[in-house]
Amino acid sequence: MKLKQGSFLWYLYLDKLYCLLSVRNVKALLEYFHLLDVHHNNTLNDVLFYHFLRHVTSWKRTQIMIVFNMLDWNAMGEIGFDQFYMLVCILLAQQNHLEEQFIFRHSRPVFELLDLDGELRIGADNFHMYNFLFNIKKQELRELYHDFDITGDRRLNYKEFKLFTIFTMDKYQEKQKAEKEQGKTAPLKKKRPHRFILSSKLF
Amino acid sequence: MTRRRSQSPGRAQGPRPQPARLLLPQSPRPLAALVVCGPQASLGSHDSDDSSPDNDIRNLWTRATLSQPKLNVPRSKICDDSDAEGSSLGSKTRQWCNGKAGRESDGGWEEWDDGEDKDGFRREDLHGHLSLEMELRRGSILGSHLEEDVDSETESEVSSSESSISISKHTPHRAYWIEQQNRLPLPLMEVMENEALEILTKALWSYRSGIGRDHFLTKQLQRYIEGLKRRRSKRLHLVAY
Repeated sequence: MKLKQGSFLWYLYLDKLYCLLSVRNVKALLEYFHLLDVHHNNTLNDVLFYHFLRHVTSWKRTQIMIVFNMLDWNAMGEIGFDQFYMLVCILLAQQNHLEEQFIFRHSRPVFELLDLDGELRIGADNFHMYNFLFNIKKQELRELYHDFDITGDRRLNYKEFKLFTIFTMDKYQEKQKAEKEQGKTAPLKKKRPHRFILSSKLF
Repeated sequence: MTRRRSQSPGRAQGPRPQPARLLLPQSPRPLAALVVCGPQASLGSHDSDDSSPDNDIRNLWTRATLSQPKLNVPRSKICDDSDAEGSSLGSKTRQWCNGKAGRESDGGWEEWDDGEDKDGFRREDLHGHLSLEMELRRGSILGSHLEEDVDSETESEVSSSESSISISKHTPHRAYWIEQQNRLPLPLMEVMENEALEILTKALWSYRSGIGRDHFLTKQLQRYIEGLKRRRSKRLHLVAY
């Protein structure tokens, strides 16, 4: 998923550490929400929500309605600002490739979002349904259930899920470190030939 | 527009327990306390070929609060400009300007020009700092003129009035800046309103096809869109003239 370039959300950004918006960004987002709140209910109904997401993302109708049903946790048929804010954070995390960090930082809300039936357990179906939100690949999903299903019931409770987020975060940080080191060594390799050329010219 | 229905068999019909809201670590409060006030380092992870400095809304944000061009100049330049405009401030003031110019890095306006949203609280610090310095400056100007000889009283009167004029030139900037603290910048509002208009226009088509043109919700949406368009055209009209 990519946010539409030049859209309002495209200009927002998450704090790197906490994966949340700043006060200033939230204020702007609240204004934006009120602009879309046509009926002055402090909510967006499914039609407004659908057209909003259709405009700013590349999601299809089915995906948008899945997200709507996920966020409509009061079953009111409308989305309030709390849910809207969470959605925007998820979108920005995906846009900026911070999914692992976001799930790690907000494991409880994410778990409760995925726990559709309120059974305090997440099955593979739940994960698969929201795969497009958090960008969890099939291979990772298989590893997730293989390695972290400690209770063996083929579903994850919150503790198992938390372990998964910690493990994923560790992997993510190692990957970041490796990329940084690669970035450091690559310019050094490039510099040496120049040094050689200069020194040969001097002599 | 549909009321809530069950989506698939076997799924829970009623409301689910509310998920925990996004919380800062060790923060018991819900959404209102979630936001981070700290420095916002740019993620820099927008697509590399996408954002240019002119298109980055973070630049719009800081530029919008500096719409008066003279706001974004060092203090020494303000003094020089005042001199260039024919209001000679007097040697004492000039000394003050030269002295203060060396301390601009402490909180000058030019710090706003980096285009990054560094620290939301620094703005208030700068504001306090600037207001204090303006007071000190006024005091030093007036005080310095009191110390001069009596036979230069006329000269001091002229220069103090000129200095008060130069100060009053810059006070509206401060008032404008204070006002902007409570409002979003106009360029940002324009982006939001334009986008909202596009979204709501498409939603209106869905309303018409879903619940009909005569439904009160459709009419409400239509009126709202018309209001937005009027507001936008009014603003464009003002900008043009």
